[in-house]
Amino acid sequence: MIAKLGKQFSEAFGRFLYAAGFLLNLIKESALFLRRRQVGFRVLVMQLLFTAVEAMGIIALISLGLGAVIVVQGISILPKFGQGKLIYTILLIVITRELGPLLTAFVIIARSGTAIATELGNMVISHEIEAYVSVGINPISYLAVPRFLGVTISMVLLTIYFNFFGLFGSYVVTQFINPIQLQDYFQNLLSVMTVADIVSSLLKALVFGILISFTAIYQGFNVRVSTTEIPQVAIKAVGQGFVLCILADAVITLIYYV
Amino acid sequence: MESLIELQRVTVQAQEHISLDNASVVIPGNRSTAIMGPSGSGKSMLLKVAAAIIPPDSGRVLLHGKNLQRLSQRELLEFRRTSGFMFQDAALWANKTIFENLALPIQFHFPNRSPEEIERRIRKLLQPMNLLDSLKLRPAALSEGEQKIVSFLRAIVLEPVILFLDEPTPSIDHQLLEKMLGMIRGLKDRGCTIIAVTHDAHLTSMIANHLVILKGGRILEAADISEVRRSANREVIEILTQVLSEAATYDTDILDLLQE
Repeated sequence: MIAKLGKQFSEAFGRFLYAAGFLLNLIKESALFLRRRQVGFRVLVMQLLFTAVEAMGIIALISLGLGAVIVVQGISILPKFGQGKLIYTILLIVITRELGPLLTAFVIIARSGTAIATELGNMVISHEIEAYVSVGINPISYLAVPRFLGVTISMVLLTIYFNFFGLFGSYVVTQFINPIQLQDYFQNLLSVMTVADIVSSLLKALVFGILISFTAIYQGFNVRVSTTEIPQVAIKAVGQGFVLCILADAVITLIYYV
Repeated sequence: MESLIELQRVTVQAQEHISLDNASVVIPGNRSTAIMGPSGSGKSMLLKVAAAIIPPDSGRVLLHGKNLQRLSQRELLEFRRTSGFMFQDAALWANKTIFENLALPIQFHFPNRSPEEIERRIRKLLQPMNLLDSLKLRPAALSEGEQKIVSFLRAIVLEPVILFLDEPTPSIDHQLLEKMLGMIRGLKDRGCTIIAVTHDAHLTSMIANHLVILKGGRILEAADISEVRRSANREVIEILTQVLSEAATYDTDILDLLQE
């Protein structure tokens, strides 16, 4: 029993070390991406198009909806306690600090995380990865790095986009309930906004982007011999992506605000 | 006999299965080698290990006496530029067009080559195979045989001096096969070393000077064809008969077929 537990622990530790080494290699190759003679630049552009541009519609919809819901709830409750102005602080806390990066991360996990894990898994099964090796192209620098950079950059850009639309959406709804000048609205928002709000939002976006892309790429390359492994790694990429993002969110929030 | 690639006590384990078991073999340079054995005997794995696509779990692979695992980045790139690998299942990049499949190795190794030069090279390769109309198609739009032809063309697009072929002939129609065999013969005549996993007696007789026989991941025989002919090893004779049975009749001496 103890021997079995020891073996399981040793295997889990080995997997952790391997994953850590893979992440370090990915970061090292990413740093070299611009310096190398690259045929992978087009892959990066395609990844940005898929992850950032094609997700703009759904991100706009979610953020507008979220901003609207916060305003409707806030305006109906807060004035009863004489705290009507608190709506701006709540908007910033919920959209910029917390839900902006987190909901953007969830959208990217659902769209790009699964797509990357599935695509790379299929490439392993059909020996396309071996074909890249056979012509001298390093699959990490050609396939993994553009996806890693593409998802991470997209995550940061989409978080900014989410924040903008979330705050703009709340303004639009405010016009129906309690009309206010656009200038006054944003002045009130800026008066409660701190540098820490912006930095923590962007830091979260950056960390989430790294975690989502790393998990998806790692799981995709983990496929070995059978197509039945592909849905399994896609599920793992999603599950681990969610868990890691929520853990990282909690850690960054604690560091910044406690 | 000058050694081009040498496997020393190489073992490769895939999942729970041992694909190569303590295999040692010398693949000579400036000659062509056919690797034969029953299905599942580790032929493809041997080829991929020799081509430095899959690293061995234990043992060493030497290229001109140098450990392939310890080559510098520059030496490894040079090896890739001067070698080509045709996969048994074609392994074309599914999200790229046929043109892109053939252009990528050139763009990677020769980034300064102009698009016009690259296109000329690709058209020159595709034209004899009647595949010029397929330039903008994805591999899924081609038949299995056509995909294998494109995989072969990708392997030779950089004009390699070492060519690895994994079961190149099955599922290719007769007309295209003749053209491909003609190209392989041309490469051999120009001094290209060809290392082929094959069950095809015709291809073996056409290109091979050297024969490697595998069984259960172990090297059973590795010698010049003339020596294999004289081999008294019943197991070798049995495997050759079994492997080439589709090409031979029962009363044909299978080893004569290799000398046709």
